[in-house]
Amino acid sequence: MKTLAETIDLVAAFDASPNPYMLLDRDLRFAGMNQAYLDVTQRTREELIGVHVMDVFGAAEDGPDEGASQRLEGSFRRVLETGESDHLALLHYPIRTIGDHGEAVFDDRYWSCTHTPIKNEKGEVTHILQHTSDVSELVRARPTQDGPRSALDEMLGGGVFRRAMEVEADNQRLETERRQLSDVLLNAPGFVAVLSGPDHVIQFCNEACYRLVNHRDILGSSVQDALPELGKQGHLDFLNDVYETGEPVMGRQRAFTLQHSPDGPADVRYIDFAYQPIRDENAQVIGVFVQGHDVTDVVLAAERQKLMIDELNHRVKNTLATVQSIAMQTARTHEDPRSFAEAFEARLMALSHTHDLLTKSHWEGADLRSVLEHETKAHGIGRLTLNGPLIGLSPARALSLGMVFHELATNAAKYGALAHGDGRVTVDWCVVNHQSPQLKIVWTEVAGAPVREPERRGFGTRLIERNVRHDLRGTVEMSYTGHGLRAEFTLPLETEA
Amino acid sequence: MTDIFSGRRVLIVEDESLVAMLLETILVDLGCDVVGPESNIEDGLNAASGTSRLDAALLDVNVAGQEIFPVAEALKARGVPFVFSTGYGEAGLPEHWRGNPTVQKPFTEGAIRDALMTALNMQRA
Repeated sequence: MKTLAETIDLVAAFDASPNPYMLLDRDLRFAGMNQAYLDVTQRTREELIGVHVMDVFGAAEDGPDEGASQRLEGSFRRVLETGESDHLALLHYPIRTIGDHGEAVFDDRYWSCTHTPIKNEKGEVTHILQHTSDVSELVRARPTQDGPRSALDEMLGGGVFRRAMEVEADNQRLETERRQLSDVLLNAPGFVAVLSGPDHVIQFCNEACYRLVNHRDILGSSVQDALPELGKQGHLDFLNDVYETGEPVMGRQRAFTLQHSPDGPADVRYIDFAYQPIRDENAQVIGVFVQGHDVTDVVLAAERQKLMIDELNHRVKNTLATVQSIAMQTARTHEDPRSFAEAFEARLMALSHTHDLLTKSHWEGADLRSVLEHETKAHGIGRLTLNGPLIGLSPARALSLGMVFHELATNAAKYGALAHGDGRVTVDWCVVNHQSPQLKIVWTEVAGAPVREPERRGFGTRLIERNVRHDLRGTVEMSYTGHGLRAEFTLPLETEA
Repeated sequence: MTDIFSGRRVLIVEDESLVAMLLETILVDLGCDVVGPESNIEDGLNAASGTSRLDAALLDVNVAGQEIFPVAEALKARGVPFVFSTGYGEAGLPEHWRGNPTVQKPFTEGAIRDALMTALNMQRA
């Protein structure tokens, strides 16, 4: 079968057509036009070829207003963007003509235009073909205030004109709505994308969506080509499911690993998303509407909160177990309920005092001198002398040393130097061996009256020994002079906070 | 019935000395010989992977901010049964270790005895 081009000369046919035609290139410059177009616009071919259409027919004083000019240019742009024909049913567009005395005047005209894309073999739009009909005569034939001239006039003029006006008004309203909707989606806080066809070609992508994919150029590509990492994470399967079954797929707080560039580093973002089918007028699925929110901050905050609650739970349960241990061990050495209650309460208060100190520093630690002061102040400030430099203790070590000094002070008050009116206690500490720094603490009791070494090692003594060895990883030597107890502690100095 | 514990060598890994003392007291009352208590993962691993006989272990899950699981793995490799002690109970354990006998802090003497018995019986079964 012969093609049309082989049977007739298309150029000659184009030029001979009584309908005005003109051709624009992608830059909206005149590439060609027929004689009818030159006649209706009263221009010459030389004036127009290669000139930008809006330079010739742009807005002008006494000529087309800005709105009309923008609608005309907008129609050209839509053809370039969509690759589809665009219509302006009625355009009020005066054009410049030559007046009776050779002067330039604007002639009030109404046009109906169709803009058709001309594509190359790759399907790319290379030109726009404009077909214009000058409908000014129809417009001018509309009824005047003098009343309708005839039924034919009414039919040809008024009726057709009114319908054209209505169609064009509808078009403008739809275009405004489309633009508003598009603006809303573009600037929406959540991400939005529109995919078309079985390969999920990205047709629309808003600002939030571009941010999410690190501003990669994804428009016009298939999801597999543009974002290959998503296929590996199962999202291509989700999109295929939506496209094939028409059922939406939703996800909450799902981890997405997104790359900055095809081979670049990847980020993990947590996302709530919905993939919903887009259907045509026959209810066939033709694409997928993608929307969602980046909820990474929410997920990370929840993780931090869970960590904090877990840590709190750990500390509370450990503290309860510690209190339980104090109760049980104290009970073993106190048969009388009243003396049990006193000893238990005193130990509980010692633990609590160190907690108070740590709370003041937001559990960052406490100073050795403060711990000593807290645990011994019940026995009279004047009777204890504390000498040593500033030494920071971690919360765990502060709690351990707090218990240790509580036991020492309690023992001194019961059996040692503080049991009698004129006894004293001196606590000296310093850092020794600077290669491998150690904290040396010496507790010395000087009693007014002679003191005997206790016969039985009580819970207090065991607690001190165990604490020093187990929690503080140090050593303690306890000896009795005739004046009372002397306890010498050697503890590794912490390097960590 | 408590003969099952007599002379059993039981390792304790627990960072809080007072809690370790409580466990030690409970185990001694049951008739066990206590190994440790160890206060950190490193010493716990040494004790768990040594050659001396071990019949069971009581393992604090969070030892000075570190998880006990390397010690648990070493014991498992030797076929030594163990009981976890944790503030969270069994729900706080990773999936892999659920089902292992666990006591929740604070614990009673009875809870320790029952969990140890379960661990020793499970090994025998």
